[in-house]
Amino acid sequence: MSHSIDYTANPPMGPSVIPDAPALPTNNPISLPRKSRWPARLDLLQSLSGLLLALFLIAHMAFVSTILISQAAFYNVARFFEGAWLLGRPYPMLVSLVASAILALLMLHAWLAMRKFPAGFRQYRAFIAHKNRLHHGDTSLWWLQLWTGFLLFFLASIHLYDMLSQPELIGPYASADRVWSGGMWPLYLLLLFSVELHGGIGLYRLLVKWGLFGDKTRARLHLARHAFSAFFITLGLLTLLAYIDLGRSHAAQAGERYIPKAAAQTATH
Amino acid sequence: MIPLFRHHTKASSQPRRLTLKILRYNPAELNAAPSFQAFEIDEADGMTLFIALNEIRATQDPSLQFDFVCRAGICGSCAMLVDGRPALACRTLTRDLSAQITLAPLPFFELIGDLSVNTGKWMRGTSERLQTWIHAVEPVSADILETPMAPELAEAIYELDRCIECGCCIAACGTAQMRPDFVGAVGLNKIARFRLDPRDQRSDDDFYELIGDDSGVFGCMSLLGCHDVCPKQLSLQTQIAFLRRKMARLGLN
Amino acid sequence: MQIIHSDVLIIGGGLAGLRAGLAARKRGQEVIILSLVPPKRSHSAAAQGGMQASLGNSARGRGDNEDVHFEDTVRGSDWGNDQLVARMFAHTAPKAVRELAAWGVPWNRVQAGDHTAIIDGQPVTINEATAAHGLITARDFGGTKKWRTCYVSDGTGHAMLYAVSDQSIAAGIPVHERMEAVSLIHDGTRCHGAIVRNLMTGKLIAYVARATCIATGGFGRIYQSTTNAVINEGIGAAIALDTGVVPLANMEAVQFHPTAIFPAGILVTEGCRGDGGLLRDVDGHRFMPDYEPEKKELASRDVVSRRMEAHIKSGKGVRNRFGEHLWLDITLLGEQHINGKLREVKEICQHFLGIDPAHQWIPVRPAQHYSMGGIRTRPDGAAYGLDGLFSCGEAACWDLHGFNRLGGNSVAETVVSGMIVGEAMAEFCNSSAGELNVSTALIRDCWHRAADEFTTIAQSSGPENASHLMHEMQQTMSQKVGIVRHGPVLQSAVDTLKSLILRSRKIGLRRSQPGANPELVLAWRIRKMLKLALCVAEGALQRTESRGAHFREDYPQRNDAEWLKRTLAYWPDPQQTQPTLSYETLDVLTMELPPGWRGYGARDAIEHPDTGRRQAEVDVLRQQFASADRSTRQAALLDFSQQLPCHLRGDNERLGDAT
Ligand SMILES: Cc1cc2nc3c(=O)[nH]c(=O)nc-3n(C[C@H](O)[C@H](O)[C@H](O)COP(=O)(O)OP(=O)(O)OC[C@H]3O[C@@H](n4cnc5c(N)ncnc54)[C@H](O)[C@@H]3O)c2cc1C
Ligand code: HEM
Ligand code: HEM
Ligand code: SF4
Ligand code: F3S
Ligand code: FES
Repeated sequence: MSHSIDYTANPPMGPSVIPDAPALPTNNPISLPRKSRWPARLDLLQSLSGLLLALFLIAHMAFVSTILISQAAFYNVARFFEGAWLLGRPYPMLVSLVASAILALLMLHAWLAMRKFPAGFRQYRAFIAHKNRLHHGDTSLWWLQLWTGFLLFFLASIHLYDMLSQPELIGPYASADRVWSGGMWPLYLLLLFSVELHGGIGLYRLLVKWGLFGDKTRARLHLARHAFSAFFITLGLLTLLAYIDLGRSHAAQAGERYIPKAAAQTATH
Repeated sequence: MIPLFRHHTKASSQPRRLTLKILRYNPAELNAAPSFQAFEIDEADGMTLFIALNEIRATQDPSLQFDFVCRAGICGSCAMLVDGRPALACRTLTRDLSAQITLAPLPFFELIGDLSVNTGKWMRGTSERLQTWIHAVEPVSADILETPMAPELAEAIYELDRCIECGCCIAACGTAQMRPDFVGAVGLNKIARFRLDPRDQRSDDDFYELIGDDSGVFGCMSLLGCHDVCPKQLSLQTQIAFLRRKMARLGLN
Repeated sequence: MQIIHSDVLIIGGGLAGLRAGLAARKRGQEVIILSLVPPKRSHSAAAQGGMQASLGNSARGRGDNEDVHFEDTVRGSDWGNDQLVARMFAHTAPKAVRELAAWGVPWNRVQAGDHTAIIDGQPVTINEATAAHGLITARDFGGTKKWRTCYVSDGTGHAMLYAVSDQSIAAGIPVHERMEAVSLIHDGTRCHGAIVRNLMTGKLIAYVARATCIATGGFGRIYQSTTNAVINEGIGAAIALDTGVVPLANMEAVQFHPTAIFPAGILVTEGCRGDGGLLRDVDGHRFMPDYEPEKKELASRDVVSRRMEAHIKSGKGVRNRFGEHLWLDITLLGEQHINGKLREVKEICQHFLGIDPAHQWIPVRPAQHYSMGGIRTRPDGAAYGLDGLFSCGEAACWDLHGFNRLGGNSVAETVVSGMIVGEAMAEFCNSSAGELNVSTALIRDCWHRAADEFTTIAQSSGPENASHLMHEMQQTMSQKVGIVRHGPVLQSAVDTLKSLILRSRKIGLRRSQPGANPELVLAWRIRKMLKLALCVAEGALQRTESRGAHFREDYPQRNDAEWLKRTLAYWPDPQQTQPTLSYETLDVLTMELPPGWRGYGARDAIEHPDTGRRQAEVDVLRQQFASADRSTRQAALLDFSQQLPCHLRGDNERLGDAT
């Protein structure tokens, strides 16, 4: 214990200044190229595309299910979208246009979402192991969303291609024939479940992701999600049954187009 | 006034016989492979996993490795998978578990041995990467009155400052399992904490540099495992969503 | 043999070690910090209640200043501390709080206007000044005249540790985690660093440095019932003791905290009582006013702990299957207060007891809490006995606390002493004494000696079991060297511990395994811990008086005439089974506050012959300087500012100062 501290070597007495933290070399935003803003935009686009698809789907289910009201109602809806009320005569091309737009949106959404897919088998295995270990609702839901999304990629593309290539074949008979005589109903059944589950989860996730409600509302949001999927699956199943029913009774005349007046006549048979 | 013991503890009844299945692995042993080993002990009143594991080490297997420091749920050392869920072992009462308990080290982090993982190293790396300290421009004198701060703001900052870096949120995050470079809820919460603090003079543009990509806030898929396991009950869901909004806004200009 | 060099080696990554490291780093030294655990897991994180600093912002702190803080600290210490150090400390503490504020600690702030506090069981309305709005507020803690304890809800230590740790990350200071210093590299006069064991691989590494600082915290784990973390085993102090030339001071001065949850030993903060919580016995009776009519629940810790044990002894304890306890009642503070300001307490009660403290009473009993003793240092933190060795924080006996530490003075000490000792180390490194002149032969020698200790244990097939010995030691300490001490009982404790030391030389391992090997670690540590336990027990046995936390039933008076001195324990020969004690006198004639009554507890101290004389001198000086300003008057009584680094000497501004 021989040495003794000599403070005279210190800098002259002054106020006690708290030195700020020395910056790490990376901590100089000016000299660095600014980080790309694209990740932010892509994240927004992912949500936006999902939201638009979901909104489209809600509207779409409303239109398609008009078959439950009457064939004429559905017929009118279909014609409505061909624009006859505005342009004087129907342009099925319009439906093709909308369908291609939706297809593009779908592809955009799929591409954006696929960035979140497990990249490679190792990640895939890691996630499964994690999910099975954790038994956690929202984590398992994502897995469901991933697989329904994956299915949708194919199912929705087929359906959209149908609509795009044969826009004129939308109407009570033509649709029913496609569903039944064209043997499309299994695809629709699968598509229906996938899309309603995926859309329901997707909308829930949107709310959670952007924090539109506080973190105390999750249980209620889940309830809303279940209600959403249940409602649209029920509606869709009834609609599909209506098409199947009509398709079966119309099987003999498959290919015949629905004409409102003729329909009125057949109805009086 | 007597502490209410939870229903399934009857003071008079025979203590339960607990079986703890523990994942064993000593990387120092050649050709060692992880495997489960079962230990049996009698349950005691108010027994926590801290007590149970120490008893096993004292009476059955002195080589068992695990980490406890404060044993009071405040230091974040003892996070492990309890029946598959990340939790602080020291404050997990055995009476809240079944008689068959499975313990495994936290996934994602470097495994040191048995139940011990190197969370500290990862957390330091995250701190460096996210620069989790006050960035002040002007030096402050310690001799003069401190800068005033609204009492509510101070409390709100503390609310986010309560993270104990236990790593539970990372272990519960599916994204982190797939992407080792993901900052996770702990990192995002820290950014939210410094963003809220007026003493930190970084702007949103600066924070964007740190978390504005898919290994940052845009990588989060809102799986919310983090939110549901955080032992400090931090509002991680809200904080991540908040940051996402702030960071996404920058994408619009 | 791997060798790692640095200017400054800091053993311990708690508040003290990190702050000292920062100070040295900012003076341009290269610093490495070692820690058993990631630094943010150090036990500093457990401090809930707060940090004392005389800011005087809150209504109940108005009029506070360094003088009041100084006097409270000296009284609290029962005149056992170093008043020079207490002065340096009281002066620097406000700077430390403000520095931490600038580093992001979210100190709770003054809310202008009326608020209600529970004082003495009664709601009292306090009006906070508008001018103070938003400044750092303070709460009441035991043994203080003013409300002086700055706090961050009840996570003060956590918030402080995180802020300081983040600063050290910002400064790029490497922390080598899961590293245990197992011996010092020294030649009997100069310390050159430490031999360190990697707790993950079991490998030994030599860390060579110009200055070495031990900041390893307390050694509560030599007791069975303690609020300390499981890593608080005192190895840092033990390796200093092992040198044979560095003394541990006042090891018998051990603080017991009144309110540890029974039986787990987990602390519920003093803030509970500070905020108005009450102690009750088996009948629900509030008994503290019976013993301490003035201070009641807020008398200093040693007094409250002793009263509680006495009350239990008188048959008023609550019995359960683990033993007896008393109740802490905070239900009267209300749900809102508990959920906001005492949330950790609430969580602890929920998780470890399954109760809600807003509605139910908490079972408590005193437990070991703080080690006032430790590595003896001078005011600049340089350890006695070895050049180049420093110490700070709870591991050190800088001697701020004497025989009893005030709540809130400890985390304050860690940062304040860190600021001062870090500077001193930087100065040392820059001086000629700080040149590194160490032969590789010496390093190799020390390395081999440490390695041998481990291999000897690993290869021994002795009959003794380390965890049994640990248990026996802890029990002996809690039962016989606890709150209330008695000569013959202490003697039997010393005897037991000595026999344990002999037995510890015959520990055999049940397993041999490569790598970290926790069994080997335990077997090695118990031998160190037993030495510390003996220093405590032997010191307590020899000290035939009662002072602060050291209470002898057979010598209930404080005896300034014979015992105004510091115990120094040495362990010169490894084969010894008990420490060699010597004493260092405290000079009454240099005291700014000569010995007197503490303001609580017994009033029957045996006076030191010099006390009267010094008191007269002090009175004269006070008169002479009556018209001078406060700091000039104070400097005439005890001049401390030369001991501080220049940049810490400035006056502290307070609200209402004429500046
Ligand atoms: C439950 C509790 C509550 C408290 N509340 C308060 C309060 O409200 N106010 C207050 O003022 N004080 C309080 N205290 C006291 C205060 O927290 C401590 O005294 C103080 O934090 C000690 O800080 P430290 O830096 O000296 O040591 P610690 O924080 O204990 O750090 C010790 C460091 O040393 C390392 N280490 C130990 N041994 C070795 C080794 N051999 N080799 C390498 N590294 C090693 C450890 O890893 C650790 O990083 C409380 C204490 C407890 C137990
Ligand atoms: C091509 C087929 C599709 C695929 C591969 C797909 C895939 C995904 C995936 C993997 C996610 C999760 C993204 C994440 O967690 O960040 C997602 C989100 C979402 N999907 Fe789809 N999806 C498809 C079609 C649809 C359709 C048709 C809808 C409309 C109902 C839809 C609506 C949503 C919504 C609303 C979200 C939430 C958006 C977000 O999290 O930002 N998706 N999709
Ligand atoms: C512009 C684009 C689209 C048009 C014009 C369209 C039109 C139709 C029509 C007319 C039907 C009735 C059956 C049929 O005629 O084959 C139908 C059924 C269906 N469509 Fe679409 N669709 C479009 C896009 C989508 C998309 C993007 C999805 C989901 C990914 C979707 C999902 C479904 C489902 C699930 C059914 C079956 C409904 C049921 O039977 O309940 N459609 N669609
Ligand atoms: S955010 Fe919560 S779970 Fe994650 S590290 Fe912090 S305390 Fe642990
Ligand atoms: S679990 Fe992971 S994906 Fe996001 S919400 Fe939490 S960080
Ligand atoms: S040991 Fe500290 S949180 Fe469990």
